[in-house]
Amino acid sequence: MSFKKQKPTFDPVILVALGIGLITMSVVMLALQNQSNQTFAIGAGTGLSGRIWIAFITGLTTGGLSCLAVQGGLLASSLAHQIEQDYLQTTSQHVRQISKRAKSVKLNKPTQPQRTNTALPIFLFLVAKLITYTLLGILLGWAGSFLTLSPLTRAFLMIAIGIFMVGNALRMFNAHPIFRYFNIEPPKFITRYIRRTAKGTDTFTPLFLGALTVFIPCGVTQAMMAAALATGSPLTGAAMMFAFTLGASPVFFILAYLTTEIGARLEKYFMRFVAVVVLIFGLVTLDGGLNLMGSPYSFTNLTRGLTNTASASSQTSASVSTTDLTLMVRNDGYFPRLTRAAANKDLTLHLITDKTYSCARDLYIPALGFYQLLPETGTVQVDIPAQPSGTQMFFSCSMGMYTGMIIFE
Amino acid sequence: MIRKTFNIPDMTCTNCAMKLESLEDILDGVKEINASYHKLQMVIEYDESKLTEEQIIAAVKKKGYQAVPA
Repeated sequence: MSFKKQKPTFDPVILVALGIGLITMSVVMLALQNQSNQTFAIGAGTGLSGRIWIAFITGLTTGGLSCLAVQGGLLASSLAHQIEQDYLQTTSQHVRQISKRAKSVKLNKPTQPQRTNTALPIFLFLVAKLITYTLLGILLGWAGSFLTLSPLTRAFLMIAIGIFMVGNALRMFNAHPIFRYFNIEPPKFITRYIRRTAKGTDTFTPLFLGALTVFIPCGVTQAMMAAALATGSPLTGAAMMFAFTLGASPVFFILAYLTTEIGARLEKYFMRFVAVVVLIFGLVTLDGGLNLMGSPYSFTNLTRGLTNTASASSQTSASVSTTDLTLMVRNDGYFPRLTRAAANKDLTLHLITDKTYSCARDLYIPALGFYQLLPETGTVQVDIPAQPSGTQMFFSCSMGMYTGMIIFE
Repeated sequence: MIRKTFNIPDMTCTNCAMKLESLEDILDGVKEINASYHKLQMVIEYDESKLTEEQIIAAVKKKGYQAVPA
């Protein structure tokens, strides 16, 4: 990044104050989220709050790092401009002399301004980014409202997002040249326009550049945009993008500071960390998509078989001989996770909820085409036609995170 | 005007391409620069009476990258 060429003198008070402000906002959001849900698991929120929670965590853990790698140039432009302005105010004559000397190759910029306030441009940049991405979330959610996404469509979308994230992680690891194509290059006219705008003046510049980051989203942001589209609701889409951008802001802010201070040496370590986290999130998303499809080849379902071999008695219900099955739908998933049922008999599945608020309520059984938001408390019966012996019937929540299986024998 | 292609093996993201394209505004005699992260290449169209290949390589190096004529 071009930060390494700039050694600004920071105003530590403002910098720390703004940084603390952003972190405080994030912590408050965490606290509020934690209060509203009795369990702390990522997927334990209700439909809306659960998604916002995931978006926020994604921003906090990977968004800031990933976005800084892609959008750092714009921020650097804001800072460079601020540094240049401060420098010009104090040593304008000296700058003119340097410009004359370096007429052919104008790379020798002033290196040590006397006093530079870079905290404000960073803050304005992030505020503009937050507002713009929230507006983008409204737009994406609104666009998504025209698309009726079935659980299967959502599963394919999740798989696509997962592949995209894994591809991006492998790109960061430089695993193979093909993975470079997972990083979408913005059109030249946009990058050119952004670059030219970066030469603007006053505080409008960081605000405008922050807003322009919407045109050069990083891989994680692109995945979040797809998720916002999938919500089909302007409000949810906006809330998700707001939470994601807010989560990314403290990391972005701190790393912008660190990168400016320490230079590019740490950048490669950041990128490796980002790559690992993005890879994990990508695999989790991919697994969720496969779960939602009812695929036996998801990591969860493959390992369920191994786990159940070891401790089948503790995890399965002994209801093979009956025609009624009971499944407890709780905030932390489905119990039992593995149920054995009689083959070649019509069955009735009793889904029991008791103050269940998590996305486990939103149950999908792909083989039956059953998809229903269960009541917070109550019982819902599902008729299951006779199944041949050996059939494995998978089910999951609408996000593919909580899963279970019925084996017919 | 002459058009030359340079391989830039150490680009890591699309932002690198943007940074290289910003040389358009810095180097005298440059008409257009198109950098691609996907191809790890930079195509530059410039006036060879005003700018040399060595100057371009030096400018790219200043940006933190290595330029190798293709």
